[in-house]
Amino acid sequence: MSASLKILHLFPRLLGLNGESGNVDILRLRSEWRGLPVEITRHDGGASAGFGEADLVFIGSGPTSAQLLAHPLVLDVAAELRELAADGRPFLAIGAGFQLLGQTIALEGGDVLEGAGVFPVATRHGGTRVVGDFVVESPRLGTVVGFENRGSFVDVGPHGTLGRVVYGRGNTETPFEEGFWEDNLLGTHMHGPILANNPGLADSLLDTARTRRGLSYTDPAPERLREIDDRAREARGTIAAAPLSE
Amino acid sequence: MALRTTAAVLVGRAVRVAARLRGGGSAIPGNIALRIDPGFLERTIARIPHGVVAVSGSNGKSTTTNMLAAIIRAHGLSVFTNPSGGNLPQGIASALLSEVSAGGRLNKDIAILEIDEGYGTRLAELLKPRTVLLLNIQIDQLNRYHEPDRVATMLGRVATASTDGLILNREDNFLVDMDARIPGRSGRRVSFFGGVPSLVDDASHGVASADRFDEGSAVPGSRAAAVEVVALDGARATLAIDPWTADGETGDSDAAGDAPSRTEIEVRLPARGMHYALDAAGAAATARSVLGERFRPELVTRALDTLETVYGRGEMLEVAGEQIEIIMMKNPASLQLNLDSLEGAPEQVFLAVDEGTPDPSWIYDIDFSALDHVDGITGSKAWQFAVRFGYLGIPVGEVDLDVRRALKAFLARPKPATGHKVMILNYEQMMLIRKILGFKELEGGGAA
Ligand SMILES: [Zn+2]
Repeated sequence: MSASLKILHLFPRLLGLNGESGNVDILRLRSEWRGLPVEITRHDGGASAGFGEADLVFIGSGPTSAQLLAHPLVLDVAAELRELAADGRPFLAIGAGFQLLGQTIALEGGDVLEGAGVFPVATRHGGTRVVGDFVVESPRLGTVVGFENRGSFVDVGPHGTLGRVVYGRGNTETPFEEGFWEDNLLGTHMHGPILANNPGLADSLLDTARTRRGLSYTDPAPERLREIDDRAREARGTIAAAPLSE
Repeated sequence: MALRTTAAVLVGRAVRVAARLRGGGSAIPGNIALRIDPGFLERTIARIPHGVVAVSGSNGKSTTTNMLAAIIRAHGLSVFTNPSGGNLPQGIASALLSEVSAGGRLNKDIAILEIDEGYGTRLAELLKPRTVLLLNIQIDQLNRYHEPDRVATMLGRVATASTDGLILNREDNFLVDMDARIPGRSGRRVSFFGGVPSLVDDASHGVASADRFDEGSAVPGSRAAAVEVVALDGARATLAIDPWTADGETGDSDAAGDAPSRTEIEVRLPARGMHYALDAAGAAATARSVLGERFRPELVTRALDTLETVYGRGEMLEVAGEQIEIIMMKNPASLQLNLDSLEGAPEQVFLAVDEGTPDPSWIYDIDFSALDHVDGITGSKAWQFAVRFGYLGIPVGEVDLDVRRALKAFLARPKPATGHKVMILNYEQMMLIRKILGFKELEGGGAA
């Protein structure tokens, strides 16, 4: 048994429009600086090599053109991804990637795409695009901040969410909840490197992955992470104090 | 109709004077003139004898429009152009107001206009450009346009409007086959500009073109270029220019590519950097397309030699006897290119970014290895940059959201042993810091 965490990064070339691969770097550094090595497998299509060993799965966002190209590639590995999810491996899915891992995506032209069925959510493209700072109050983590840029609605049914929207729109026009968060599955439209401003989210994903494998850190609180987390707290404070949108 | 034009011009001008006195508001007079006489812009432009050349793309529009106007002027034509940033209908109408007679007549041979890619379709209808130069499609202002594909579609419509000439950047993922993706038109000459592979690859992030996900019919760099950057030495570039042929060109006749009859010229750039060399190549290729056999390569050298530095990028400020280089952080592509063109890690670096950059997420796609530390960060996005530098292991001196205080501390730092201090700023912070430092008179400027 090798003592390293394995992160599966899905479609880094197609999905990762706005600094989103930064999330994978952040997960890796937060684990490695605490003494737990990380291996990253990038999957851009083809055979699902190394999926079974993945301890944590990340998928990012992208423009609709990239989403349509990624769609058949996602369906190719849908069964494997559902297995990983059922087995408790943590997922972080953002924007277009979150949509593709859901049940269905209704496009503006009327076509409905089938998703990978990892998340019990349905997406409908359309509506006014919302672009701007995004502030969410998470019952588990407190204030979570980022940037919202979406032209779609996501229906998460009765399921748990990342939190209540304080500034921005969220999944739909009402009831102002954002994303999906239940057990090991976290999906959101908080774009970009969401983990940069919200290290608590990164640690929560890493803890879920570690606990399942029984792996521990040798140095749980290194000084360099403390310094970064102080800066991230300041960044959250600055955004939450004066959020702006288009 | 004539009366209405006169009213539009006179009222617009009065507003322009008033706006000047109050400081700023340069689009307002144009807006008012267009409200009084909606056809003012279209009609005035339509009367220009050599028509309109439209310059668009994500990055380098102002620089290239400036270069092209200078090259055309050097050939003896009088040029109407819009000032840097005045690239929406109101801005162009405002620029017209200062040049037309009260009857609405413009005494110029040709119009060379920078146009905003988002308004390109509307402006193409209005201005009916004979020639279109497209520079690049980069990840720029995603908040506005959301996706590079959309920008490509918008620029495709502008390209479609061209009747006489279409000039494209062959190093750009989206532009290399743009001619094949729009309806053809007899009489339209398509030409390309680019750089030799070693230079394009050497700009370590290439030309920072946006990723394209559909299948193109040509790979970047594969089209024969009418003007090619063949050497680059600091802020000087050598351009190789194909001779003009009356029977036109498709850009695919590779045989002509390295014929001995190419003329090589040396040109001065606004600052070092391959992107500026490509801008110069684009301007030269467009002048060649517009002027045909009247085009003289040596006049490109002369025109660019006398050109003032375009405001704000790679520019040197003198503060208390010290040289400080300003690096503009307009978008990811321009920041990356400017970082790549630094000669060694600067000893003293300052960074200021505010709400003018609403979502700096893309800093996680930027290679900051040109910096080995940052002395001070300010602006409302400062902490987000500090987090990024933390993960990169780039030491950060001080974060202070008070811009004046942060600036003062940076200026007080010792003079570097080599080179000069460097400030990396977004546009809004550059304007603010210039003002704080007393460069007020240049505000809203830009070499005309
Ligand atoms: Zn220093």
